[in-house]
Amino acid sequence: MAASGATNDEMMDIGGAELDNNKNEKMFTLKKWNAVAMWSWDVECDTCAICRVQVMDACLRCQGDGNRQAGGKQPECVVVWGECNHSFHHCCMSQWTQQNKRCPLCQKEWSIQRMGK
Amino acid sequence: MRMRECIFPIYKLRCSLSSHLILLSSLELGNMNQLSSKMATISGSYPKGGQDKPQISFEDQWPKMQPTIVKLLRQESVNRPEWQDMFYSVHQVCLWDEKAAAKIYKALQENIAEFIGQAQQRVLAHSEDQALLKAYISEWRKFFDQCSYLPKPFIQVEVSLNNHPSNNSVGKKHRGDDSNVRKLMLDSWNNQIFMNIKQRLQASAMKLVRAERNGEAFDSQLVIGVRESYVNLCSDPEDKLKIYRDNFEKSYIEATESFYQVKATQYLQDNGVQNYMRYAFSKLKEEETRAKKYLEPASGSIQALMDCCVGVLVTAFKDQILAECPGMIKDNETEKLQLVFKLMDRVPDGIGSMLNDLEDHIKTAGLDDMKLWADVITQDSEKYVERLLELFRRFSSIVSSAFCDDPRFLTSRDKAYKLVVNDTSVFRLDLPTGRQGPAVKTQPESRCPELLANYCDLLLRKTPLSKRLTSDDIEARLRDVLLVLKYVQNKDVFMRYHKAHLTRRLILDASADSEKEENMVEWLREVGMPADYVNKLARMFQDIKVSEDLNSQFKEQYRLAKGPIGDSINIKILNAGAWARGSERISVSLPLELEDYIPEVEEFYRRKHNGRKLQWYHHMANGTITFSNSVGRFDLDVTTFQMAVLFAWNQRPKDKISYENLRLATELPDPELRKTLWSLVAFPKVKRQLLMYSPEVQSPKEFAENSTFWVNQEFTVIKNGRPQKRGKISLIGRLQLSTERSREEDNEGIVQLRILRVQEAIIKILKMRKRISNAQLQVELVDILKNMFLPSKKMIKEQIEWLIENKYMKRDEADINSFIYMA
Repeated sequence: MAASGATNDEMMDIGGAELDNNKNEKMFTLKKWNAVAMWSWDVECDTCAICRVQVMDACLRCQGDGNRQAGGKQPECVVVWGECNHSFHHCCMSQWTQQNKRCPLCQKEWSIQRMGK
Repeated sequence: MRMRECIFPIYKLRCSLSSHLILLSSLELGNMNQLSSKMATISGSYPKGGQDKPQISFEDQWPKMQPTIVKLLRQESVNRPEWQDMFYSVHQVCLWDEKAAAKIYKALQENIAEFIGQAQQRVLAHSEDQALLKAYISEWRKFFDQCSYLPKPFIQVEVSLNNHPSNNSVGKKHRGDDSNVRKLMLDSWNNQIFMNIKQRLQASAMKLVRAERNGEAFDSQLVIGVRESYVNLCSDPEDKLKIYRDNFEKSYIEATESFYQVKATQYLQDNGVQNYMRYAFSKLKEEETRAKKYLEPASGSIQALMDCCVGVLVTAFKDQILAECPGMIKDNETEKLQLVFKLMDRVPDGIGSMLNDLEDHIKTAGLDDMKLWADVITQDSEKYVERLLELFRRFSSIVSSAFCDDPRFLTSRDKAYKLVVNDTSVFRLDLPTGRQGPAVKTQPESRCPELLANYCDLLLRKTPLSKRLTSDDIEARLRDVLLVLKYVQNKDVFMRYHKAHLTRRLILDASADSEKEENMVEWLREVGMPADYVNKLARMFQDIKVSEDLNSQFKEQYRLAKGPIGDSINIKILNAGAWARGSERISVSLPLELEDYIPEVEEFYRRKHNGRKLQWYHHMANGTITFSNSVGRFDLDVTTFQMAVLFAWNQRPKDKISYENLRLATELPDPELRKTLWSLVAFPKVKRQLLMYSPEVQSPKEFAENSTFWVNQEFTVIKNGRPQKRGKISLIGRLQLSTERSREEDNEGIVQLRILRVQEAIIKILKMRKRISNAQLQVELVDILKNMFLPSKKMIKEQIEWLIENKYMKRDEADINSFIYMA
């Protein structure tokens, strides 16, 4: 257990004998755990330099589409990483590359390193 | 053709005129047509007639006609042949003798004059006004009836007269009303009788009306007859109602006015204002009915009279009546108020002061009520919302029952209720000003939106309240919340709290009804909550569903690889953008039992997705543990933090552990550890606490480093006053998800967001206007933002300065109060 310091170890030894007497059953046992985690894109800069929206949110274009849909459902708007390790909304970048095949941040030739999923 | 045109109206008249002219009833169009063609034949082929010497002369025919005319005037019975002969003779004479028309006319005039002379004598024989009036009316009635019949046979006369070059009015159709003979009759009557006695007639008619007002019955036809005389005897073709208006109407109105001037004051003195109102109202009604009877319809007289009545009955006492209003509103005397409303609604500017009274009442009554209940409602959001709704219903029922839901009163209600809802004297929510350094507070705001959100949470979460209510009840109450929300100025605060509650409910699976949850989101959209707020909520629902799928996939995979795990672990992996923006993560050292799962989940997720990183939000996680002691075994729902604390005793169940050592074991930040421990030593709902501690303290802040804690071996769940050996209890409470700092951060976040919204809106306006005055900018700004919050003057000023500083805009050099957009 990561939490155990030296002091605790000593105390544990003292209590250990009694515990064995108790049918080896721990006082507290885990029955169920509802764990919670948050995911986010593994990016260096959390804003898309093209649309200036956070990469965790859908890009402006997709947000607009989403607002027009009933229920405000947002379509999947994933992130794309270039070889230069810069990241953008995939939608934004595919628009961009139609005009210019370079990364808007570092001007290196754009080639996709990986795509968010 | 002309013949037929002229005869045709007679036939039509047969149907409509009164029946005492029996001869008309047998007249038929067929007969008339026959007659006319017969006449045409005669006139066309008369054998012996020379063209220059007419055989049929006026002098021959007149003696035949005259007796019938006299009979008609006297309303004596005229038989069918006599009536038909009249037509025939008149026609014949006019065709044969070109001067005959004028002669007939003259002779007719003499006959009429003679008849009227006789009538006059009969009328004037009465010297007393009332009797005179009666006689006049009876003569006038008869005569007036005859005005409709007598002219008929003389159509040919009219044609001939009108064909005269000097009197050429081709194209003007002659109707009964316009006929010369009729005019002759009426003019003669007017000149010979009416002119002489009209003042007496009118005076006695007014006397009758006055008598009627005093409750005496009489024949209303008498007054009507006088009025008809006025209307019908007018010889001015431009304005037929002139004489009527200048005489009859005028004197009727004057008589009414003077009557009530005396009566109304008297009644008010004798009976007091409230009774007077009833009196005035009934009199207005009465006068309207009377006016419809005695005044000429379609002349505007009735309106003129009613204006006068309102003036003398209501406007004159406006102040006295209105002075009663505040008291009545206060005492909820809706019937009387309705009376006041109906009276005042007819008075120019009458309603204005009532609107103010209503607003004042709602304001004071609402705030008094809030203050009276302050102790309860500041603690209990359910009670608060119930009070608010109770007030709303009370005020609405006044508006509806006393003021018939008049839009002006509804607006006043809304205006005043808004003040009550947003009042800060009972509840204040102090929002910190983000970056302006310490101790600068923004305007305090009402906590209403926060309490409304709490109330929603009570309804939507699994709570005793939501369990007690039926689905329809809950829906109705949620609708109530939306109703109040409409009046809340700062809707952003509501949305923020609502979102926090929703987050808690979804993560803890604590929703009472997931369908209702989603409905609520749509209702919020319907009541016009800003779309971006609502979309965020919708996104959370979408995301939680994705996460549920992921959870079942994970469990399936885990089962295949490591055997059954049942319900022992559930994972929620959520989109940080939708759920956790800006919320801090608290690290904790997990018990081994939990920590083992972490790499499993991470590995599973890595295989499923690309380019994503996971962060554990243990302060949102929770679980169930089984606790065994000397009394029995209990299932405890706990937060992960509580779990981490409790598992520290697993190795040393009987020990007393110091605060310091617990901190070392759990690695929880100080405020969180204090809060978690407090929830275990002093959980409000349980009789025997899970942990014991020493020394005694009053709040979690007072735990010292050497405070000691130990597990209560006598812990048990108490049911119906008896300790139980088995049991399940939740120790989570409202503790989770609101970390020590997050509340403050929430409020700070609200302010930060408002600052951005203000900047954004200013730029939006400037971009459109290019140049705008300060005053206009403020107006438009409030308009854009009012759906979310009401920006304070100070905030606007600060943001304008910031935008100027950052060269988004500048002041106009010529006019310091105008701003110019800088691209």
